Amino acid sequence: MTTDFNKDLALYLKESAQGDREAFAALYRAASAKLFGVILRILEDRSLATDILQEVFVKIWRNASGYDPAKAAPMTWMAAIARNRALDEARKRKPATLDLDSEDLHIAAPETDPLAGRQRQEDLVSLLACLDGLDSERRRIVVLAYCHGLSRDELARRFAHPVATIKTWLRRSLLQLRECLGS
Amino acid sequence: MSDNDPDDNDLDVLAGEYVLGVLSLDERHAVSARRMVEPELDAAILRWENRLDPLLDYIGAVPPPPDLWPRIMRELAESPVAHDLVANLRERARRWKITALAAGALAASLALGLGLSEMGRLATPQNFVAVLQKDAASPAFVVSVDLSTRELTIRPLDAVAPAGKSYELWIINEKLGPPKSLGVVEKADFTSNDKLRAYPPEVVKSSLYAITVEQAGGSPDGKPSGAPVFAGKLIRAVP
Repeated sequence: MTTDFNKDLALYLKESAQGDREAFAALYRAASAKLFGVILRILEDRSLATDILQEVFVKIWRNASGYDPAKAAPMTWMAAIARNRALDEARKRKPATLDLDSEDLHIAAPETDPLAGRQRQEDLVSLLACLDGLDSERRRIVVLAYCHGLSRDELARRFAHPVATIKTWLRRSLLQLRECLGS
Repeated sequence: MSDNDPDDNDLDVLAGEYVLGVLSLDERHAVSARRMVEPELDAAILRWENRLDPLLDYIGAVPPPPDLWPRIMRELAESPVAHDLVANLRERARRWKITALAAGALAASLALGLGLSEMGRLATPQNFVAVLQKDAASPAFVVSVDLSTRELTIRPLDAVAPAGKSYELWIINEKLGPPKSLGVVEKADFTSNDKLRAYPPEVVKSSLYAITVEQAGGSPDGKPSGAPVFAGKLIRAVP
């Protein structure tokens, strides 16, 4: 994200925290489509995703004063709220019959975000480089978990490995990523 | 954080699994509850959120239905939340000096998790929290005690009493003799009472809090009828 875009979002959040509905509307216009995309990818149900996005924005409004720019970019903070809510919902439901075979993971082609700034691109490049250090199957598992919200059980079925193996791989992948990212 | 420290690694891996999204619902609830009282875990979660967030660039934006915004406005109009409560919460977070704990996530998890009945009392600094659990992975209740008023609030996380039974909360301390009832846990999101006023603050702070399964409506003779199924001790919410 560009610095300006994040500055705008941070300002909207600050003003929302003071009860400014105009600022909250601007925040909604700027962030709702991205957050809806994130939720929809996990839940794969448009009506349910809409309900969840409603809850997420109500939470953002009520917790805007808790946003701390020193800890995360505004979009990161909001995306975490959206993902957590969507993941809770996904775990409550029976495993989806995901048809991901037709869908490539687009690992080589991120959606070009006109708002993506240099720092963001650098962060993405670092993360991709580190993901590249994982064995390809493990890389796919990590990306499917994070972007599609697949559970360990769903990953085990999809990759035809025992759940315990998936669990171990995920843990090792996390440690490897952490070490690679050096943070 | 050192790779040689297994505890650090366990905590950090758990945070990574939480952010990655691969935990079960129970495990997710456990982490959500623990991060409220464990600044290190909360900080680890924030680090993982920042590390993995760039991947969201792979997820395209999708405009939500046009009627969603009016729905959100309606919901806010119907159940407004006073912003001073949230501000109160933040002030409290500041006073807790939990620098490692992101104020954002704290306020979010507390405000989302505890709800209004809790938020109304946030101006008081003497707050203690206990997570009652069977084992480390399964917190079932969060007990919070405001020592200045000795008001107690218990919130079930996932626990549902067996049909025809009630959960009852007890305070256990050798200074008190046998366990003393703190009341039946209602099915509501929160149960509050002031039964702790009968006990001195030092006892309140040092006791074990435990849940037993009793007949509907609670133990008839004021004694627990079986062993605790969940238990925990209070920890100061001010590190």
